[in-house]
Formats: sequence, structure tokens, C-alpha cells
Amino acid sequence: MTSLSSSAATARATFMPSSCRARPAGGRGRMARLVTRAAASSPKLPSGRRLRVAVVGGGPAGGAAAEALAKGGVETVLIERKLDNCKPCGGAIPLCMVSEFDLPLDLVDRKVRKMKMISPSNVAVDIGGTLAPHEYIGMVRREVLDAYLRSRAEGAGAQVVNGLFLRYEAPKEPNGSYVVHYNHYDSSNGKAGGEKRTFEVDAIVGADGANSRVAKDMGAGDYEYAIAFQERVKIPDDKMKYYEERAEMYVGDDVSPDFYGWVFPKCDHVAVGTGTVTHKPDIKKFQAATRLRAKDRIEGGKIIRVEAHPIPEHPRPKRVAGRVTLVGDAAGYVTKCSGEGIYFAAKSGLMCAEAIVAGSANGTRMVEESDLRKYLAEFDRLYWPTYKVLDVLQKVFYRSNAAREAFVEMCADDYVQKMTFDSYLYKRVVPGNPLDDIKLAVNTIGSLVRATALRREMEKVTL
Amino acid sequence: MAMATSTFSPPASQLALRRQPGAAGRYHLLSFPRLRAAAGEAPVEAPSKPLPSPAASNGAAVKAKEPEPAPLPRFRDSRWVNGTWDLKQFDKGGAVDWDAVIDAEARRRKWLEDCPEATSPDEAVVFDTSIIPWWAWMKRFHLPEAEKLNGRAAMIGFFMAYFVDSLTGVGLVDQMGNFFCKTLLFVAVAGVLLVRKNEDIETVKKLIDETTFYDKQWQATWQDEPKN
Repeated sequence: MTSLSSSAATARATFMPSSCRARPAGGRGRMARLVTRAAASSPKLPSGRRLRVAVVGGGPAGGAAAEALAKGGVETVLIERKLDNCKPCGGAIPLCMVSEFDLPLDLVDRKVRKMKMISPSNVAVDIGGTLAPHEYIGMVRREVLDAYLRSRAEGAGAQVVNGLFLRYEAPKEPNGSYVVHYNHYDSSNGKAGGEKRTFEVDAIVGADGANSRVAKDMGAGDYEYAIAFQERVKIPDDKMKYYEERAEMYVGDDVSPDFYGWVFPKCDHVAVGTGTVTHKPDIKKFQAATRLRAKDRIEGGKIIRVEAHPIPEHPRPKRVAGRVTLVGDAAGYVTKCSGEGIYFAAKSGLMCAEAIVAGSANGTRMVEESDLRKYLAEFDRLYWPTYKVLDVLQKVFYRSNAAREAFVEMCADDYVQKMTFDSYLYKRVVPGNPLDDIKLAVNTIGSLVRATALRREMEKVTL
Repeated sequence: MAMATSTFSPPASQLALRRQPGAAGRYHLLSFPRLRAAAGEAPVEAPSKPLPSPAASNGAAVKAKEPEPAPLPRFRDSRWVNGTWDLKQFDKGGAVDWDAVIDAEARRRKWLEDCPEATSPDEAVVFDTSIIPWWAWMKRFHLPEAEKLNGRAAMIGFFMAYFVDSLTGVGLVDQMGNFFCKTLLFVAVAGVLLVRKNEDIETVKKLIDETTFYDKQWQATWQDEPKN
């Protein structure tokens, strides 16, 4: 399954970044011709050795990249610092990820088919009524998913190394190697700190997450990030029944000024959390407010774990430098509004690996920066509409409590639900029936106007 | 008005808490120590404290360490029934008094903004503002604003027409045929519509930046693409 060619055939790109000198949306033929040209011009590797690539980070992005690289005939090393890491995460994956990455169904702890959106004034709207019986949002445990993808990469021929990436050195000549420095952990020889080791590679894929060291070394620049704070709460069984197939989303200034609070079901407990970009020091207050809103349903629960992690808000200014590139959270591929990152991490890892495999003609030739830029161009072209739409939604509907009330009101509409789920589950922005779209636009404006009018009334009220 | 018809209002002690200086802004929880305590401690137990076993005969003594915070006043209104406004109680001479419904909903939202409540599936809120007919919103909000804006446009129009006439001698009818004057008219109308308060000038500028900011962030990596 080559997503590059299949995506070229199925993508309906409606936007092209104007300064992006990417190849125009061509069909399979043009992609194949480009591949041959690039492979013919780059030098063949000396003494018939295969291309060596280091994938730094063993999350969904790293695992997917390593597997595709190994399958494509590239000598791959995957470095992960903590093989049993439970990365703090909402853990929601769309339906298309299960099919695109051939995930076994037992990876999915819970299938969420109902979501409850709750406005600042507790107006509750149930969404999910338009879902077909086979459609759901999968909730996974990150430690399980990550380990599975890594084991698949290993099975395809990648070498998985337990170590902490320290830094890399750029090559001295144009076609020289990168030197990767890392701390090798080996439980068998009893050394606690790990020993410093190095190895040489031709290209580096930075998949080491929001605090990426590869990004720092390559001077990729910083991004704004949200802090997501989450508590895992074990609640009594009768309360857990309510969350059997249901996730909740709370919006409001009390819960977060620019994000939302959530209660997501996990395997045998729930994750209660919230996040913010602009008011990070107040995150504990927002968490308390989220717990208050869900009070009746999580009463009597025991907090079994408290965790927090940064979430990028937009891509880094530089995503490729020489033969080093970034994928996943390290690149900043998290959507606005929903904060979804797992699917885009895995997909970007896969697309990057495929670009490297194609550019190196299955590991026989050296890759160049232009091959890595092909992955960036394809990713931007495929998913730009999704990211832009979610950005617009966030700007319009997370502005104020009035906008959030309108947002929840809009979610009650069946057409909105259908469009939302279609675009989330299958990652395509499909323009629906134009008449329905006009009706939707009118309803949206109406909701926003009413909510803003009520807001002005609220300011006059003295309780 | 709406205040008089409501049968419940928060106890005086709570009102006193609410009116603390410096409590303006979104983070009301800070000024409500009882709210904060309730929000932070009541819903879940801290992991270090063991669950009091049912067999413990002095369960009361175990719990006595942690004084129960007073329950928060929930929003109550006699016309708020089953998570929505009972329109029959808003009767005014045979028809529904939509103004009162709007006032009641504004008050409810203000209450919940100051004093967020736990949601519960049994008392689910299902009120949808779209049940209030469009003409009620028009009459209440759009018409006064429209009157104000039309007044501004008329004043600007009269004085600009007089001013241009005194400078150039071109009468009102001839001004309307001139392209430059028509452009000025367009700018004046757009200005009256978009800039209603002094702050709106900044807001409009920021909005223009905002719409293209995200695009720029995504295209940043292409700015330094080597030209080969």
C-alpha cells in the first residue's frame, strides 16, 4: 500500500499554498516520472550498500516510519528512550487509521459512538446519532499502540534500540554521513546511566515528539504549544457504564479559555483533563473546574495517575534541513480545535518513509533534501484543507462563551454532525449539498448572533 | 422585570462573596474559597487516603477530619422546568412574552458563568435559543442598533454632501453620478457598519492578520527552500 500514489489518485485538493513550489496535483503517472528522475540523478551508494536512516523516537510517527523504511529496503535504526512509555494522551484514533495501518481490533480498548458536548451553561447535546453501526472513534492506550507499531517495524527488518538521542553532527562533505550520538541503555550489563555510543547514517527522521531534540539540533525553530493536563480516574463500575461508549467534551471559560475539557473512557478508567495555550499557569484551576462539571459522574473515583504534556499548535518554521526532517508532533502536526495528533503523526511518518524509499530507489541511492521536501509537499497538499477548516472553527467558536454556546447549539444539527464525523473519521473535507451548506451557514450565523445578543444582555444583568 | 418574577435569588452571604473587588474577569473561582474547595476536593478522593471500609464502626470519626463544604446554590427558577423554559409561564395577554424568556435565559447563563455547576443526565439542559422567533430577536436587538447606525450614516451623509457642495459647487444629484463620490459613499457606509466603537479599528486590523496567520505558519518551511 503506497499512500503517495493512492493519495494522489483520491485527493481532492482545493487549496495550494501559494508560495509552495510543490508539484501540481498530478496523477499516478507524474509521480512515477518524478521518482525515476530523482533516483537517476542522485548518486548510487558506494560499494552497493543500502541507505541508512535513523528514526529518532518510537511513537506512532517513528514506528510507522521505521516499518515503511524497512519494508522499502532501507537499513533502519529506531531509537526510543523508554520502551514502556505511557505517553499522556487522549488516545482517540479515527476509523481510517485502523484500516490504513491494518491495526488489529484488539488494540482498540473502547469504541466511542456517542459524544456529549456541554456548553458553558450546561446545555448538553448528544452527537453520534448519524454514525453508521460500523463507525466509531477508537480509544487506545498509547503504550499498547506504540509497542505494537514498533514490533511491526522490527518484524519488517528495522533495528529497535533502547537509547536516548543526544545530538547529531552534520556531514562535512555534501554526500557524507550524519553522526548520531546517543546514550545506549542495556539492562543486561547493569549500568544505570547507559553508555555513550555513536553511529553513522545518511538521513535522520525526527519523530521524538513535542520536545524534539532533533528539531533543536537542526534549528527548526519554536512553536506555540498548549499544555494538556489529564488525570486518570478509576470510577465505580456503575458510573463506568455511563462511559461505556460515550466521551464528553466541556467548553467554557471556566474549563479552558482556548481549548476544551474532556472525559474520555479508557480501558477500565476515565481520563479527565483540559488544556490551554494562553493561560498555562492556571491549568490546575481549569482542571478543578472540569472535575466540578463532571462531578456527579466521577464522584467516588480514585485518581490513579496525573500527567501533562505539551501539544504543538502549528508546524515548526523549518521542517527539513539537509537530509534531516521532522514528522509527527516534532513537526507540529496537531490540528487546532480538536487537538488530534496520533493519526497525523503516523501518516506523516509513513509518507516521509515512502518519500525516502522512492527517492533512494529502494535504498540503493543517496537521498537529497528535495526528496524530503516531496513528503512535505504531499502532506501539506493532502491535509491542508483539514487543518485550515479546524483552525477557522477554533477561531470562530472558541472565542468566547457566547461563541461556545452557539457551537454547542450548532452541534445539535444532523447535517453538522454528519459533516463533522465524515471529516474526522475519514480525513476528507467533502463539500456537501450546496443547499444544505447555505442552510448551515445561515443557521451558524443565526446561532452566533443570538448567542452574542444574549451575551450583551448578560452584561446588563446583576444577580 | 425579570428579577421580580424569579422566585429564587442567591442568599445574601453568597452575594457578598461575589462582589469582592478584583473578582472581575474569568477566574471567579479564585475569590470563592468554598467553591474552590468544593471543586478541588469533593468529587474525587486523593490517592493517599484509603477508602473508609464499610465495616468501620467509627466511619463518622474518619470523615470528621475533612469538613464537608457547604453545597453550592444551584440555579433554581420556577419557570425552568426539566432543563428548559416552560413557555406557558411566560404568558402575557395570550401570547408568549419572548422578551421575558430572553431575560430569563440571560440571567441563567450569567448565573452559571459565575457559579459553574455539575451537569447531570437526569436534569439535562435541552434549551435551544432557536425556539425564540426571529422577530423577537430583531425587535429587541437589531432594530435599536439599526436605528443608531442609520442615524450615524444620515448625519455623516448630510454633512459630507454639504461640505463637498460648498467646496466644489457640485450638487447632491451630480455628486451621485461621480465615481470618486460613490467610492467615498461606499467607504462611509462600510465604516459606519464595521467601526461602531473606538476599539473596533484595532479589532478589524487584528482580524485581517488572524485570517492569514495560520497559513503563514504552515508555509514557513517553504520560505527557505533551496532554488535548484
